[in-house]
Amino acid sequence: MTEQEHAARPLPPLPPLSPPGDDATCYTYRTDLAKVRALVLQQARVAGLTEGRANDLVLAVSEVAANTLRHTQSAGTLTIWRQPGEVVCEIQDEGTIADPLAGRRRPGPDATGGHGLWLVYQVCDVVEVRSDETGTTIRMHMGI
Amino acid sequence: MDLLTTSVAAADGDPYTLVALAGEADVTNSGALRELLDAEVAKEPSTLVIDLSELRFMDSSALHVILRANRTMDRQGGVLALAGPRDPVAKMLRLTAADQLLPVYATVAEATAE
Repeated sequence: MTEQEHAARPLPPLPPLSPPGDDATCYTYRTDLAKVRALVLQQARVAGLTEGRANDLVLAVSEVAANTLRHTQSAGTLTIWRQPGEVVCEIQDEGTIADPLAGRRRPGPDATGGHGLWLVYQVCDVVEVRSDETGTTIRMHMGI
Repeated sequence: MDLLTTSVAAADGDPYTLVALAGEADVTNSGALRELLDAEVAKEPSTLVIDLSELRFMDSSALHVILRANRTMDRQGGVLALAGPRDPVAKMLRLTAADQLLPVYATVAEATAE
């Protein structure tokens, strides 16, 4: 099966995501991505991630939040919480990702686009994506 | 607040242009970065060095602006080089393989040594 055929045929629906932890921190952003990054870095440090992995998580969340600015006209929400063995960051917005393989293919060597989601998959331990016509939720997990 | 501050130097006798970026480069200021780089690239310098040593963060939209500038420099027969990326930026350049596409030096002095 070619990549095009893959992309054209929707995957079966995924189960809903489990609710965030009780101690979750929420932040609604529009263009203040620096604040989003500062919040993620602070929470990642508190959770005990090494500096390198904390910076990885900052990059991943910033890339996803940048897509909110690029592809929607409305605000996005960042939710951060800890659960056993990991810190989780979730970005929710009104955008729609139509391609189930978005971010899964390595961009070409001289590509000048398409690195955002790809980076997210490279640096995070687990990435969960739920997207339909009402919006997109991307959950990024980093083991401690 | 301006998160990205840029400065440009092209000293007399120096056969290169130096653009220094400081702060955080992301999608909210990549348009300004593109204008700045386009203006410098249009002057057709033989070497354009981007000093990243004061840059705390760079996202893929800023990288794409740099890669486009690199493409134009290439076409003009010039060289675009990066200098002094700190950890998070250096890692991002490695993950995207941008460090295979254009030269990355530890310091501006090394980038301009030849």
